[in-house]
Amino acid sequence: MIMKQFRFEPLAQASYLIGCPRAKEAVIIDPIDDLGAETYVLEAADLGLTITGVFETHVHADYISCARELAEMNDVPHYLHESATDLVQYSFTPFKDGQVFEVGGVRIKTLHTPGHTPEHTSFLVTDTARTDEPWCVLTGDALFVGDVGRPDLLLGDQALDVMDEATRAETLYRSVKDRLFALPDHVEVYPCHYGGSTCGGVNMSGKAASTIAFEKRFNLAMRKDTPEAFAAFVKETAKPFPDDYARIKSYNLGLISKDAITEAAV
Amino acid sequence: MKPTEVQDAVAKGAVVLDMRPPKPFAKEHVPGAVNFQFNRADLAERAEMSLPQDLTYIVHAEPDPIAKVAIGILSKAGFSVDGYLEGGLKQWKADGLPTEALPLLTVDELKDGLDRYHVVDTRESFEFRFGHVPGSTCLEWTEPWDQMEGLESEKPLALVCGDQVRSAYVASVMQRAKMDAALVFGGMVDWLERGYPVEKSPKKAKAPRI
Repeated sequence: MIMKQFRFEPLAQASYLIGCPRAKEAVIIDPIDDLGAETYVLEAADLGLTITGVFETHVHADYISCARELAEMNDVPHYLHESATDLVQYSFTPFKDGQVFEVGGVRIKTLHTPGHTPEHTSFLVTDTARTDEPWCVLTGDALFVGDVGRPDLLLGDQALDVMDEATRAETLYRSVKDRLFALPDHVEVYPCHYGGSTCGGVNMSGKAASTIAFEKRFNLAMRKDTPEAFAAFVKETAKPFPDDYARIKSYNLGLISKDAITEAAV
Repeated sequence: MKPTEVQDAVAKGAVVLDMRPPKPFAKEHVPGAVNFQFNRADLAERAEMSLPQDLTYIVHAEPDPIAKVAIGILSKAGFSVDGYLEGGLKQWKADGLPTEALPLLTVDELKDGLDRYHVVDTRESFEFRFGHVPGSTCLEWTEPWDQMEGLESEKPLALVCGDQVRSAYVASVMQRAKMDAALVFGGMVDWLERGYPVEKSPKKAKAPRI
């Protein structure tokens, strides 16, 4: 299998290309507009791969997504968890929890891990050319290296926020503990953000890869014994909110145009 | 360039360079197109090694941003490029223009019908010497087009390389010359993985010429 991590340093954001060198196919996960759709298109082309789908772990609030543009450019589906249907104002291809996608010999299984947002999903990756055991998991903004995604990025719009902050924190705790930490210890963790990002707390590592076993032992937030203690710790160690997050999220939901983000910022 | 403009240029001798991967190329492409894999790192070098300098090219890559980058690289390397096929094959077909396919063979089909084909190995000669399909001929992918087109054979040709990138290029040049050539998808990687027999030769076997 082929896996490439794209890093956009100013926002400490990581996006991914996952592909099969035999089938010559690839999917892109969490593409960022700052790098631009063409970056992903050219990287795939350099590797001789055809892009067959664009996935997002969730609707992002801290960076402008180019998933819609990338999917349209390649004439392929843009995948989001089915629960995003009520939130976003554009058409996408919904997936369910536990759904399996085959990218040649690479298997991608969806693991619904809500908390940071209601539709948030992690992607469990298996290279069937080597084994049927999973090899890595793309944890989006649920589990970071050394930290977790913040559960308090609420827009103040009940229709969009769905859950309150406390419910989100508890939901996130359960998602990580019951779903991600239930994966085999050897599974590698690849997050959507790393140290410097405002999507997590102060304990995020600058290293954008880890393992389930390492995070089970050393993730400070997840070492709390109860959802309440976890929620309190996450709140204490939170950073300031990301710049323009309400407008960025509104754009990513399809509520406003891209111009409206920058106009408002000026 | 609009599809009809591409068609007119081709009628005047321009060559469509199809930079999509071999699989979609084999399925369907602009008639007469040559399959030449995109890669920013070595596109200029490979083009200089193998594409005729005296022809005019039109790029076909999907989506369009790849084509624009490819034109920049090829032009800088001194090639004459007219433009690219806007909107790709989708637009070409929407305008009602015809396509052609390149016949494909799996290594299993080749193994079962080995006596029916003349196998042409398009890898470099050192790779060929290391091990090849029994009875095959070495025709390096960098050979001039008139050498590829002049390969003499009573049987249909089956083009092989490591996977299918170099073989698709040579097969497409042969298809332009109306030769009966099929692409062996998966190449030596699949052949060796199946444990099929290989032959080693002490020195490069030259292909017979017309």
